[in-house]
Amino acid sequence: MSNLEKYVDAFKETFMVQDSDLSDLKYQDIEAWDSVGHMALMATLEERFNVELDIDDIIEFSSFEVGQSILAKYNISMS
Amino acid sequence: MTNAPTQTILDIKAIIKHQRNRYPVLLIDKIVDLVPGERATGIKCFTYNEWFFPGHFDDEPNVPGFVLIESLVQTFILTFLCKEEYAGMKTNFVSIDNIRYKRKIVPGDVLRIEASLKSFKRGIAIGSAISFVDGESACSAEFVVAVPAILDQFKPRTKSV
Repeated sequence: MSNLEKYVDAFKETFMVQDSDLSDLKYQDIEAWDSVGHMALMATLEERFNVELDIDDIIEFSSFEVGQSILAKYNISMS
Repeated sequence: MTNAPTQTILDIKAIIKHQRNRYPVLLIDKIVDLVPGERATGIKCFTYNEWFFPGHFDDEPNVPGFVLIESLVQTFILTFLCKEEYAGMKTNFVSIDNIRYKRKIVPGDVLRIEASLKSFKRGIAIGSAISFVDGESACSAEFVVAVPAILDQFKPRTKSV
């Protein structure tokens, strides 16, 4: 499974969304991505990619798109 | 059930200091075993004077299921609220799973609750509790609980409109 597939799966499993909803998805766009959902997503990503995200990165992680650039800082490339 | 310590570790004043439930929904009396960040054992004594017995039921008083779950989770949250840095913070349920009721609880019963904290990270606590009356299984459940005051520190920044 590629990094992008793992990333997409983490969103789909955490928020029960479709692939088509993901590209523009932002924090609080959907009910499931609230503060609790955000922590669930961070925990899932940390587990899937075996990293520990910094607090600043967790706070900056405000959308599906931004999340990819944040994970790139941990040498997790989506391309 | 583990070997049963009975010495009071947190009395009712300490419980009130460390968590925010108050009458009529403060549903533990004391903590008799406590390893901060790991486990807590709580005791709840049910008497006929409890507010819910007249309504549940007048001809057959027994503890409502939601009261039992609340007793369990109030013991559970003390596994982390006992730490000074979290003392007095409010908590919210995120989920309750695998609830099992094994025994009716009636006036005069003493419920012993053994709670375990599996993980506590960024304001999300995951764990479980089992309970006993006279050594007999009474009720058990798994919990995910949020601490909003901590969660708020990790909320993504959103642009103001």
